[in-house]
Amino acid sequence: MLNQLIFNGLIAGSTYALAALSFLIIYLPTRFFHFAHGAVFAWGAYFCYIFSVLLQLPLWVAMPLGVLMAAGLGMGLEVGIYRPLRRRGATGLVLLLASLGLYVVFQNLISMFFGDETKSLRGDEVAEGIPIFGARITPIQLWIMLAPIVSFGIILSILKFTRFGKAFRAASSDPELALVRGIDVDRITLGAFALGSGLAGLAAILVTLDVDMTPTMGLGALMSGIVAMIIGGSRSVAGTALGGLMLGLAQHLGVWKIGSQWQDAIAFGILLVFLFFRPYGILGKPMRKVEV
Amino acid sequence: MEYLLHIAILIGIYTIAATSLNLVAGYTGLISISHAAFAGVGAYVTALMGLKLNLLFWFSLPCAMAVAAVLALVASIPALRVHDDYFVLATFALQVIATSIMTNWVDFTGGPLGLPGIPQPSIFGAILSTHWRMLVLVWLLAGLFLFLTYRLVHSPFGRVLKAIREDEVLVRAFGRNVFWFKVSAFVMGAACVAVSGSLYAVYITFIDPSSFTVMESIFILAVIIVGGAGTLWGPVIGATALVALPELLRFVGLPSAVAANVRQVLYGLLLVAMMFWRPRGLIGEFQFRSDYKS
Repeated sequence: MLNQLIFNGLIAGSTYALAALSFLIIYLPTRFFHFAHGAVFAWGAYFCYIFSVLLQLPLWVAMPLGVLMAAGLGMGLEVGIYRPLRRRGATGLVLLLASLGLYVVFQNLISMFFGDETKSLRGDEVAEGIPIFGARITPIQLWIMLAPIVSFGIILSILKFTRFGKAFRAASSDPELALVRGIDVDRITLGAFALGSGLAGLAAILVTLDVDMTPTMGLGALMSGIVAMIIGGSRSVAGTALGGLMLGLAQHLGVWKIGSQWQDAIAFGILLVFLFFRPYGILGKPMRKVEV
Repeated sequence: MEYLLHIAILIGIYTIAATSLNLVAGYTGLISISHAAFAGVGAYVTALMGLKLNLLFWFSLPCAMAVAAVLALVASIPALRVHDDYFVLATFALQVIATSIMTNWVDFTGGPLGLPGIPQPSIFGAILSTHWRMLVLVWLLAGLFLFLTYRLVHSPFGRVLKAIREDEVLVRAFGRNVFWFKVSAFVMGAACVAVSGSLYAVYITFIDPSSFTVMESIFILAVIIVGGAGTLWGPVIGATALVALPELLRFVGLPSAVAANVRQVLYGLLLVAMMFWRPRGLIGEFQFRSDYKS
């Protein structure tokens, strides 16, 4: 039983880690909470639905298309809404309010176009779990645990070894100085939105393959992602991964004792604890904004 | 006619809710998306006192305010240790936890099925069951809260709140305990929005957790942003705009399945549009934006 809980926690944690990473990539260069990311997340799954169920394309074609469309949506939001707002002198608060509005719009668009019922991407029957270490895990759940590991590896490589990665780190650390040095911060931001939104779409598709999709799936994933990011310190890829896994484990071990309907409350209780005692997370450094 | 009265009552209830958030977000600058949670507290306290203890509305209303105030105090003391975006997050967390409790503590709150049959208020034996009577009650209270807000904002206390919104460090340099001002504003805001929750409970005579979710909190925030945060009449204008205008959609003949979604899309778009053209709202003074950017 405990083994199953631990694995469930790791699987959930992997999802959170992936969602958190997708959010972190956007947060680092822009430094505001892009709430609409939750809607982009959900749209990733629904794009895939369009391609695989409505257009009857095979899953291995629909998935990358869904991811690309999600990336496109994220880029569209940046170019169409956030960038013009920044040009008009918007503070982080204005962008946050705009992103709240955008979330409302896009989540309701899903409800309007696809309805509120739970939809599925799976064509076949529910898979039986493979016994591992005394727990049962389905094949798709194994992919869910693998995907963040691979994604983290790819992102870390990009950040460390490519020119884009270096420019990204510079822009995240100090946008003004990066501009002075000739780095096109706007282009970095656009790339961040593309990468982060695409990753969110991937995470959403994986989640859907495990537990199906609803229009509101993005909000829960977004908040879990933010919690994981804050636990991990809001600065590093490694911290975010750690945060996600810890959150998943804490949540599932917690529901063992107090029932699964309190899942959300546990996650947000953890967030509150971290905000009050260690807002800069486990691997973070104290930040002025948070400490003043 | 009944329909128009219903709209007017809703506008009144949202005016009270928006005015209370205005105190917290518009005047003090604390953007909070937990306000619907406190409205829910007010609603559930009033409903439970009416249903289980047979208390009159006139008694359960102050109790609702008191409970909301205490909860706000307990919640805000830790929450106000962080600022700006992180404070918004903290209020989001509070909201979700509150919704979670409302949905899951079934013994106490009736869970997702809600609480039906809430007793309506009565004065000297006359039950306020018609729309006209409810309208009078709601708008009397709305007028009262507008007046109280006016007095508060034009007092030294109110001036400190506005100063905190503009430059917190400066206020602290002048020797004011910024933290306690913020807590006070937050607690007062929560107590007032509990009133709107209570009114909603006795008007519709049925409540469930879905009326007090984070979407509702964002909606109340949108109301003051559209109307004008930081002014007295902003919440009234915003409430009128965001409650009445979507009702016009009814006459467009949308299928009822998507009508609710279309309204939400519209108010989301309105929120985004306001950020572009007039972040301070139709008549507001809080700019929400920095004047120092190039």
